[in-house]
Amino acid sequence: MSDLLTVQGLSVRFSGLTALEDVSFELGRGEVRAVIGPNGAGKSTLFNAISGYVTPTSGTVHLNGELLTVMTPHAIAERGIRRTFQNGGLFPALTVLENVLTGLHAQTDASFFDILIGRRQALKSEAANIARARDLLKLMSMEHMADTPAGDLSGGQQRIVEIVRTVACDPPVLLLDEPAVGLSPVARDQMMDIIRRLAGEKGVGILLIEHAVELVMAAADKILVMAAGKRIAQGTPDEIRQDRAVLEAYLGHA
Amino acid sequence: MQMPTARQRRLRTILFWAVPAILLLVPLGTNAYTQFIVNGMLISTLVTLGFTIVIGNLGQLAFANTAFFGIGAYGSAILAAKLGVPWLLTIPIAGVFGAAGGFLASAAALRGIRSYYLAIITLAFGELMRWTYLHARPLTGGTDGLPMPRETLFGVSLTDDTVKYFVFLVVTVLLVKATANLLASRFGRAVMAVRENEVATASLAIPTSRVILVTFIWSGFVVGCAGALFARHIGHVFPESFGMLHLIASFAMVLVGGLGSVLGAVLGAVVLTALPEYLRAFPGMEELFFGLIVAAVLVALPMGLASLLRRMSPIFVERFYREAS
Repeated sequence: MSDLLTVQGLSVRFSGLTALEDVSFELGRGEVRAVIGPNGAGKSTLFNAISGYVTPTSGTVHLNGELLTVMTPHAIAERGIRRTFQNGGLFPALTVLENVLTGLHAQTDASFFDILIGRRQALKSEAANIARARDLLKLMSMEHMADTPAGDLSGGQQRIVEIVRTVACDPPVLLLDEPAVGLSPVARDQMMDIIRRLAGEKGVGILLIEHAVELVMAAADKILVMAAGKRIAQGTPDEIRQDRAVLEAYLGHA
Repeated sequence: MQMPTARQRRLRTILFWAVPAILLLVPLGTNAYTQFIVNGMLISTLVTLGFTIVIGNLGQLAFANTAFFGIGAYGSAILAAKLGVPWLLTIPIAGVFGAAGGFLASAAALRGIRSYYLAIITLAFGELMRWTYLHARPLTGGTDGLPMPRETLFGVSLTDDTVKYFVFLVVTVLLVKATANLLASRFGRAVMAVRENEVATASLAIPTSRVILVTFIWSGFVVGCAGALFARHIGHVFPESFGMLHLIASFAMVLVGGLGSVLGAVLGAVVLTALPEYLRAFPGMEELFFGLIVAAVLVALPMGLASLLRRMSPIFVERFYREAS
């Protein structure tokens, strides 16, 4: 099976309310799949269920054949699914460099005791991570911001730093929850470019929640349309444009 | 934020070892009374340090700090007085007892009890411990307290404040250095990340529960060790030493020094231990002046005395990371 991420029959019910019902799809290497739908369609619940923040009532999530559905969020992140947050998940009081470094937390094996006594080995792996974090920031032309508290950045810069932090450890799968919200048109184009490059050059499988239709149409290989917790359509951007069910969900009637 | 240059970093490392070396000379300039005060400063430094990492770095409103302190002090005194364990040996054991207290306090936080609820539960834990010291008479001596046995260290009596000073200094420097190492590592960043956004922290493959647990345990260890020093410092442990008053005093030291700062813990402890001694010149007005000075510092420097030093020179910035050389 060539698919990276396999979601099968995923359902989430909160005391009577069905937030997600029987959603299935696959995500391959280097594929960008957008998830769209009106507010309350269950897009964020889908993300939370995949990344372990919400326990699915039924259904499974597999990454490279490994069952993830019973794991805690940090264990799922360790397996290689990293995500961003709709409201921004940066640590405002930490500097930009520190934020990126937290994304590399699991990338060192220095033990608690090594750190405590300041053993050289622990410092070395830390230094390697710092070098990597600086390189990544340079790649995004953010290196001059390294020592600025993340809370002092503009909204667009914060979104970019959050993505840098999320991809720092080269995760195979990325879940981006509205990465372009609140961005200027220029920053939005830049974001789209970053997303395409991650998928194209690094082969990252990207699941993308986005309301900006032009961004979705331009960046996504496939689109998953949701309404009221269910998948109502799936296909290429061209197919979705002509889909009856989609037009109904968005406009009420077609 | 202005970061220290390579030269300033080297200077900082030198200072970190030079200052304790200079502090070895302190007994040359003290009399019996001032030596006693200075010894108290070292103990308060550790108490404040353990407190600040939980409420400042981890951002949890946990007030079990005085409980850890009492557990360490009584643990040390009971081992020394009842079982004849040499006091020096009781220091790490008291640390382990304090760490066990930290483990208990973290259990509340890990069960999702946070903010004001965690505050009140941990305050109750502290009062429960005080009640225990009062009522476990066969072990603790109740209101009469527990006297520390007379002991010698390398042939010198441990009643001597200068002898105590050297032991206190070594313990304090080691624990401050270890805590500074911890906070300047990926672990220290994870601790602050939990404070800033726990949900996002977990998404970065950081085990948030373990971070909370370990922070409380380390805090309990540091403060528990301080308890063992305190038992020898006053030579007799009483339940009243571990009440609300001690907790509030430590809280003031944390804030005056600067929340979540190692340097701040040292400054807060030293300044607020010394201040009452200077205020003796104004009999009857001591508490008033003390309160006014604390309030003035907090109004002028909300981030504490450490922030004042940081503003003067980047050499005092604590959160920078060693780059490849």
